[in-house]
Amino acid sequence: MILLVVLALAATGFLAGRARALKTAGGDPRDLHSLPGYHGQMVLLFTAVPALLLMAGWVLIQPAVIERNAAAVLTPADIPSGSSAALVMSDVRRIAGGLDALAAREGLSEAGVAALGADSGGLRDRLGAVGVALGGEVGPGVFEAANLYRTETRGGRTAMTVAVALTALGGLFLSLRRIRPDLRARNVSESFVLALLIGSSLIAVLTTVGIIASLLFESLNFFRLYPIKDFLLSLTWNPQFRGGSELGIWPLLWGTLYVSLIALLVATPIGLMIAIYLSEYASKRTRTIVKPAIEILAGIPTIVYGLFALVTVGPMLRDYFAQPLGLGSSSSSVMTAGLVMGIMVIPFVSSLSDDIINAVPQSLRDGSLGLGATPSETIKQVVLPAALPGVVGAILLAASRAIGETMIVVMGAGAAAKLSLNPFEAMTTVTVKIVSQLTGDTEFASPETLVAFALGLTLFTITLALNIFALYIVRKYREQYE
Amino acid sequence: MNDMTRREAEITATAIKISARNAQVYYGDNHAIKDVDVDIHDRMVTAFIGPSGCGKSTFLRCLNRMNDTIPSCRVEGRITLDGEDIYDKRVDPVQLRAKVGMVFQKPNPFPKSIFDNVAYGPRIHGLTRSKAELDEVVETSLRRAALWKEVKDRLHQPGTGLSGGQQQRLCIARAIATSPEVLLMDEPCSALDPIATAQVEELIDELRAQFSVVIVTHSMQQAARVSQRTAFFHLGNLVEFGETTQIFTKPRDPRTESYITGRIG
Amino acid sequence: MTDATAEFVPGRRSLLTVDDRTRRRNAAEARFRLYGLAAVTVALIALALLLVSIFANGVSAFRQTYVAIPVTLDAAKLDKSGKLDPAVMAKVTTVGYAPLLTKGLQAAMEENGISDQGLKAKAIGALISQDAAAQLRNMVLADPTLVGQTISFEALASGRIDGYFKGRVTMESAKLDSNVSPEQLALADALKEADILHSRFNMGFITAPDASEQRPEAAGLGVAILGSLYMMIVVLVLSLPIGVAASIYLEEFAPKNRFTDLIEVNISNLAAVPSIVYGILGLAIFINFAGLPQSAPIVGGLVLTLMTLPRIIIPARAALKAVPPSIRDAALGVGASKMQSVFHHVLPLAAPGILTGMIIGLAQALGETAPLLLIGMVAFVREYPGAPPEGFFDPASALPVQVYNWTQRADPAFVERAGGAIIVLLIFLVTMNAAAILLRRRFERRW
Repeated sequence: MILLVVLALAATGFLAGRARALKTAGGDPRDLHSLPGYHGQMVLLFTAVPALLLMAGWVLIQPAVIERNAAAVLTPADIPSGSSAALVMSDVRRIAGGLDALAAREGLSEAGVAALGADSGGLRDRLGAVGVALGGEVGPGVFEAANLYRTETRGGRTAMTVAVALTALGGLFLSLRRIRPDLRARNVSESFVLALLIGSSLIAVLTTVGIIASLLFESLNFFRLYPIKDFLLSLTWNPQFRGGSELGIWPLLWGTLYVSLIALLVATPIGLMIAIYLSEYASKRTRTIVKPAIEILAGIPTIVYGLFALVTVGPMLRDYFAQPLGLGSSSSSVMTAGLVMGIMVIPFVSSLSDDIINAVPQSLRDGSLGLGATPSETIKQVVLPAALPGVVGAILLAASRAIGETMIVVMGAGAAAKLSLNPFEAMTTVTVKIVSQLTGDTEFASPETLVAFALGLTLFTITLALNIFALYIVRKYREQYE
Repeated sequence: MNDMTRREAEITATAIKISARNAQVYYGDNHAIKDVDVDIHDRMVTAFIGPSGCGKSTFLRCLNRMNDTIPSCRVEGRITLDGEDIYDKRVDPVQLRAKVGMVFQKPNPFPKSIFDNVAYGPRIHGLTRSKAELDEVVETSLRRAALWKEVKDRLHQPGTGLSGGQQQRLCIARAIATSPEVLLMDEPCSALDPIATAQVEELIDELRAQFSVVIVTHSMQQAARVSQRTAFFHLGNLVEFGETTQIFTKPRDPRTESYITGRIG
Repeated sequence: MTDATAEFVPGRRSLLTVDDRTRRRNAAEARFRLYGLAAVTVALIALALLLVSIFANGVSAFRQTYVAIPVTLDAAKLDKSGKLDPAVMAKVTTVGYAPLLTKGLQAAMEENGISDQGLKAKAIGALISQDAAAQLRNMVLADPTLVGQTISFEALASGRIDGYFKGRVTMESAKLDSNVSPEQLALADALKEADILHSRFNMGFITAPDASEQRPEAAGLGVAILGSLYMMIVVLVLSLPIGVAASIYLEEFAPKNRFTDLIEVNISNLAAVPSIVYGILGLAIFINFAGLPQSAPIVGGLVLTLMTLPRIIIPARAALKAVPPSIRDAALGVGASKMQSVFHHVLPLAAPGILTGMIIGLAQALGETAPLLLIGMVAFVREYPGAPPEGFFDPASALPVQVYNWTQRADPAFVERAGGAIIVLLIFLVTMNAAAILLRRRFERRW
């Protein structure tokens, strides 16, 4: 609603600004410094942008503030044993929603709603009637918190509407008043747009800051509950939701590295040979058909690979390799995930290697062929050594991709944290454990949940280091032949 | 030119190494070389001159079938090396190129050490039986290319670290290390400064003792300085072919005369 | 010019004979080339195998077995008060409707002379999906006048029966299965013979919401498709303007200094951050800190936007860079400001390239699963989200997450559903990518 109001105001502002500019100039646009449209645009920007920014900020921050106020009302007595503040707060939110529905349905006044708190048994039934089923009776503290939650939400929404509308109107009038024939409206509105452009590019930086801040902050919380020494040095991963967990990262890291290693053992030779074949041997026609076909592999969502691992590759490997060889009877295994992931990263190796091999100057090939070398000798002894740094970069990028991959390992590798060498055994990875520790009801107080952030931090650090290193190598390589 | 008589004596004394009859080259539909007849003599420098795009480099690349690497290129006519048709189905271009080496316009040392650059040819063709033999081939080649003194202390440093002139002499050393019978040079001095050019030209003159050399050049002075016989190409045709002194002093064709006096090209 | 051609010199090796070494080298050459061809073949076979296995698994999800039976809506059972008041009739739960369906089936069997194979009524009723009773109830509540009539009703057959006709369940497996007996399967065969049981295209798979563990036959993608659509709207609305603005700034206005360098390095690294890390970010910032609801398309959309942005900015910058500087110079030369030259001339020329990148970025976002798992989109959601904009805050599912969700269920019938969901997902992706390719072909310009 308020969104429409702001947009309508902005549109009016545009027309009014243009008209006013024309009027001040006595109807002759040539007397203006800038075209009337720019005066209009200036008014439009000053009306809409601050108001919309305020609105977006308000929507994001208000729930957090209200949540904190409502939580402050709760006393330790309101939190039953075996439950937690987070669970009670989710009840509070639901009761608040139920109270709103109840008030709307029965036409209750504010006082009437407040009076509901007295009859806690009846309240549960009446809330049930509007679709809010509760596990237990509503305690007075919880009710008070819920009521506070809903009044503040409503108040906040009204306050926001007013504030946003005022900002829009303020912007409208201030900018309208500025309009004079000699106003450099084009320059003003262009500086404004430039500021918006800069702001947009800063979002990338903010994202990084957000990622690092959230990972670091929650990881620190984790290390306060669980010693960092054990996390980094313990060789066991055994979370217990009653406490006394062992949360050593090594079994997970081992699984991650093992799966990625198999993936690279599959993808590197295949990807590299594809790149060589396409850039050195294939005819133009073959190239235009095969190259996009291989790149389809990179465009397929990872969930599809996950299902492929789960229903096709896993059972196949188990029936034809693992069981006959006596190596295990699990269809999810390091081998399954590694093979499927290998297929997925083939195009990452082949596309970049292809570019890099093509960047090797033709004169080197001519020099080698002119000496009577066969094409394969030329490739192995001249082209590949020349392209080596770039190819290594491509493989490192593929490795970082493999390490960060989630769905394939979630569905193909298994969930048992193990330090084993048998590739047909189910093992687990860092990403699998992030998913399993953070899905379902999450409560941000136990080390078993918070460990996911420390795992995320580890994952982020490893992949970032690999990426930076790989990009550095590739860039250095490109400079060499420029 | 006081040694002209000696040169003429040599011309009649040496055998014909490569001979082209009625050679045609097409790039797709483009007829790039028309009816070229040329004889390349052994132990002699033959120069191909002509304005840019006249087909001299294209024709040179036909002589060791480097044009095979360009898919749209097609060669007709008969080109023989020691009487054998090099476009015969039974001929392996790999073996041909071992006999007809090539040096390119831009120095193109491989991203390897100086030693490995020179040893590349002997290694792939299996010309040496032992490390000592290989060392010897590398040393002789570098000596012949007049590079030995400059690089003997840094044989295992990358070839790309040398100066332009040194790189080109390294490429020549690399080409002669396989002991070819003919050495094709495609404007070998165009990327070099005058001092380096002089060194390479001197080298070419010495190489004549062992090899038959064919050099493509856009510089008439260079052709006059280094070659004994000269072929003038224009628009894909061989206009005139004869002894260098004759071409430069008494050209028979008016187009040749225009070119060497600077009116075309 | 001499006409004498050189004669072959005896004693030297002829070119026309290939020596041993060359023969060996040529063999190595052929082998190497073969390795290359083999690598290409392996990759293409893997691609084909992947697609074939998914299709073979999933295509049957689009067909479903139904039981067409006459159902007598007994007034004595459904509407004791006789007032046809929906509020009162709603007191009769699905448990009250199930026997009606069983009776209907028995009646149909009698009519066609099909023996009951010695099965009890309850076992016969088990041939019909539990969801059919709910559907029948909804139908009656929507139109109470039906009570007392006999209508012909097309009920979903139960998952095991459906599986039997799709080859998933066999007589042998039924012996070991507590949910279905071989006698029931024999009855199903007889019903099929009499055309009471038939199979047809299953529209419900696309429109219906998810169903519980016991009713795979009723599970559909409606909520997931809607959730994905909402998320894509959020991603499009946010990432298109922000992505274009950021790339215009970086490509056209940014001065070369350490700060803009930092932004650039940042963007290229963000594009390679594992997607699950974005999920952690969304969980920590949007849900935990800002208090937005879990499982909501708005949160999914925001997370996917942050993830997609760098993947849009990179191709958008390439498209802007491809516009030749002469165009900018021409605009500046007639006195346009820098901003005017960019917005009036450069941006329109780069638009097809930017849009192509945008569509491909959206397609990637559509298939992304891992970050959505962390922000609670795995939850079991049966309610359709409301209309936008409030609907953005309602819980919903998403296509790829629905696939994951179904693979975690015990009943193998859900695997077929997961395959079917992937086919739907792939159809969307193929359409989007085809649009991008078409756009590129149509407007591609080379300077």
